[in-house]
Amino acid sequence: MKAFKIKTPVRYIINTVLVALLWTVLTLFISGAGLKGEYYRGILITIGINIILATSLNVVCGYLGQLPLGHAGFMAVGAYAGAIFMKSTPAAQLLRAGNNAAVIPYIIIAVIISALVAGVFGLLIGIPALRLKGDYLAIITLGFGEIIRVVITNIDSVLGFKFTYGASGLARIPKFTSLNVIFVFTAVCLFLIHVFMKSRHGRAVLSIRDNEIAAESVGINTTFYKTTAFVFSAMLAGVAGCLYAGYIGSLYPSTFKFMKSIEILVMVVLGGMGSMLGSVISAVVLTALPEVLRSFSDYRMVVYSLALVLMMLFRPKGLMGTYDFSMGNSIEKIVARIRARKKAKEAKAADEAKEAKEVKS
Amino acid sequence: MTFSLLIAQLINGLQTGSVYALVALGYSMVYGIIKLLNFAHGDIIMVGAYMVYYAIASFALPPIVAIVMAVAVSTLLGVFVEKVAYTPLRSAPRLSLLITAIGVSFLLENGAQLVFGADQKSMDPLITGSVMLGSVNVSYVALVTIAVSVVIMILLTLMVNKTKAGKAMRAVSEDMGAAQLMGISLNRTISMTFAIGSALAGIGSVLYLCAYTQASPTMGSMLGIKAFVAAVLGGIGSIPGAMIGGFTIGVLEALVAAAGFSMWKDAAVFLVLIIVLLFKPTGFLGRKIQEKV
Amino acid sequence: MSNVLRCEHLGVVFGGLAAVSDFNIEVNENEIVGLIGPNGAGKTTVFNLLTGVYVPTSGVITLCDKDLAGMSTVARSHEGIARTFQNIRLFKDMSVIDNVMNSFNPRMHYSIAEAMLRLPRYWKEEKKARARALELLHVFNMERYAKENAGNLPYGSQRRLEIIRALATNPKLLLLDEPAAGMNPAETENLMETIGRIRDQFHIAVLLIEHDMSLVMGICEKITVLNFGQVIAQGTPEDIQKNPVVIEAYLGKKRD
Repeated sequence: MKAFKIKTPVRYIINTVLVALLWTVLTLFISGAGLKGEYYRGILITIGINIILATSLNVVCGYLGQLPLGHAGFMAVGAYAGAIFMKSTPAAQLLRAGNNAAVIPYIIIAVIISALVAGVFGLLIGIPALRLKGDYLAIITLGFGEIIRVVITNIDSVLGFKFTYGASGLARIPKFTSLNVIFVFTAVCLFLIHVFMKSRHGRAVLSIRDNEIAAESVGINTTFYKTTAFVFSAMLAGVAGCLYAGYIGSLYPSTFKFMKSIEILVMVVLGGMGSMLGSVISAVVLTALPEVLRSFSDYRMVVYSLALVLMMLFRPKGLMGTYDFSMGNSIEKIVARIRARKKAKEAKAADEAKEAKEVKS
Repeated sequence: MTFSLLIAQLINGLQTGSVYALVALGYSMVYGIIKLLNFAHGDIIMVGAYMVYYAIASFALPPIVAIVMAVAVSTLLGVFVEKVAYTPLRSAPRLSLLITAIGVSFLLENGAQLVFGADQKSMDPLITGSVMLGSVNVSYVALVTIAVSVVIMILLTLMVNKTKAGKAMRAVSEDMGAAQLMGISLNRTISMTFAIGSALAGIGSVLYLCAYTQASPTMGSMLGIKAFVAAVLGGIGSIPGAMIGGFTIGVLEALVAAAGFSMWKDAAVFLVLIIVLLFKPTGFLGRKIQEKV
Repeated sequence: MSNVLRCEHLGVVFGGLAAVSDFNIEVNENEIVGLIGPNGAGKTTVFNLLTGVYVPTSGVITLCDKDLAGMSTVARSHEGIARTFQNIRLFKDMSVIDNVMNSFNPRMHYSIAEAMLRLPRYWKEEKKARARALELLHVFNMERYAKENAGNLPYGSQRRLEIIRALATNPKLLLLDEPAAGMNPAETENLMETIGRIRDQFHIAVLLIEHDMSLVMGICEKITVLNFGQVIAQGTPEDIQKNPVVIEAYLGKKRD
């Protein structure tokens, strides 16, 4: 019999149903949790933001094979851009009045602005940085990230008016990031990464990771794809930053230190560089765990760093390696295994019947 | 700005620069030999500084003992980290090694925060007093720091060029495989490189403490990064380069601060790094490496 | 038969040493030309010059009468030069079929936006690419490996995949760098047949670096011999085998 293959349109339907199911489960969970609901909601929102951060970094780390250390800088740029925009809109009043639906267009514009601004920075930084490799790329992106932070902290004195409010913090940002907002944007970001990678463009990026010289020799425009992956990653980080601003309500440059970039890197590395599922699991576990184990949070960074070192020593490919999850593929495999088992059973029964016959005669 | 003020700032810069140079030397040597950016290097300074602090403040040991302890602990820590975290990954992809180094660095910083507390520890300055050079008031600390760094650089250059051990180090950094075939013990040479680099970091930590009299868990990270910029500026893998780079960065920071932009100090250093990496990645004195196709 | 590759007085100097000097060669369509010589003679250097990895210090390279001076490796690939590497450079963590489909990239047109929105052009081009890739794999009996990771293939199949990947770029000139390295006689026979099939089915020009003389003599129509970066002989396999200069280069001078 022919192999059981799920056709692509069906796969899309399966995935959409699963996503809708997940949303239903989460929403019911929150509303059913009573007083603790608010607390869980906060954790879920943070998880969503971290998922976007980790999977976007994974695009350059896992899929392109580079090690940029300035991801927090793009998050910062997106955060401030989105925040400054939202503060200039009537969103705050609308939210206070309970008119959530009217805020949606503003949110969409804010996210787009954040993505574009972060993307521009990604382009400006990527063009020079991507000429370098390995350690040098790591250090130069670290440098850019730090410069962004210092500029955000000090730019008001240069401009002569209050723009980012520097170290004293940008406050009273409308808190537009609800669970629904985060769920939608997380799903959209994951979808965008997925469809990008499952295309000729994604193949090109992976080929550059595996062997840049060979990629050039088959005509892949490596400069274009490296820059594209980098800018794409930066844009998504900007989106995460914008949603972060809308959740916390105030921004401080110290949030976006080098340390933040490392936290995101840890998620990607532990989950498996090159596996979106790995980054997602990692983000969920590493965000939820410190909350679940309150006393753990003191030791959080120590355990992180230890985990990082141990993972590199014993399982450098991370938890999931380069495994990319597909519901459709998993179902196909399960069906194939069931059929194989059935076939083996039938074959065994046939053999036994034959034996019994021979014994009889 | 008056001339004497400028000189004072320059001396300031040379002083910080000397510490950067000592740390940069360690970075440069390690990178030259195993092509690893040892992120944890800066944090070794932090540990050394805490050793000095506790030796003097808690155990009231004489300064000279404290200094020896600091250098010894730094050296041992450096070699320990190398043996435990880096040696097993010698044939692993560079990315893994880099991530491990980052992990070790964070482990040291956060571990120190747990053990020593996140606050800054102050202590009395080890060397006090100053001397008048012309119209400028130069502290003894500054003179000692600069002098020690220069002497060490000279000794190190002599060691690398004239001794058998130094030759081994140069051989391993050129071609690991060939060096092994020549009978050079890879492990011993690499460990020695780490030992020397970490010892220098230990000395650097003492000098740093003399100047700033404060220790905190994160003091090593920014210092380390800037020292790395210095190493790149001077040409990674080059000893005189690390010196030149260190002094340049130190003076640059001093001048930026003197010009009234001290909040932009860090950004200025990173800007220099970016410019160097883009236009002359081999730095002042470094060599270019070609990839074989 | 039309000319595909022509090199005239090609040379490159590294740090004062001429790695290749006064290199001349002609390779025509449907021809398999061999490039042989002792180790270090400069053969791979020639390939690197042809593909734009090194910039020549003298001489001209033309592909179908187009001067390649100043063109990058990527641009030359688009012009029609494909190569395999001495040390296999496959995309090890990608599937075999992705390795092949990736080579179609420059000739596929759907944009990133069209990919993300899954517009019709994406589906059409992907389907075509997939079918073409399977076709190519089928020609070389590698269809069954389509979903395997390239890094998991046996050595001989990896070498074959490198060739298929190069062919997928639709080249006019195929440069094979020691394709038989590490192969036993049976695999080498197989390879000879493969290369012959390539010449017959794809109508391209092949320039082959090889140390395995049975392969070279058995399949090449013309041979160029390099020593110390210079051409010491050119001709048919029979001519080369009898040429005293060539024999001396490989075996050294006869001692009386």
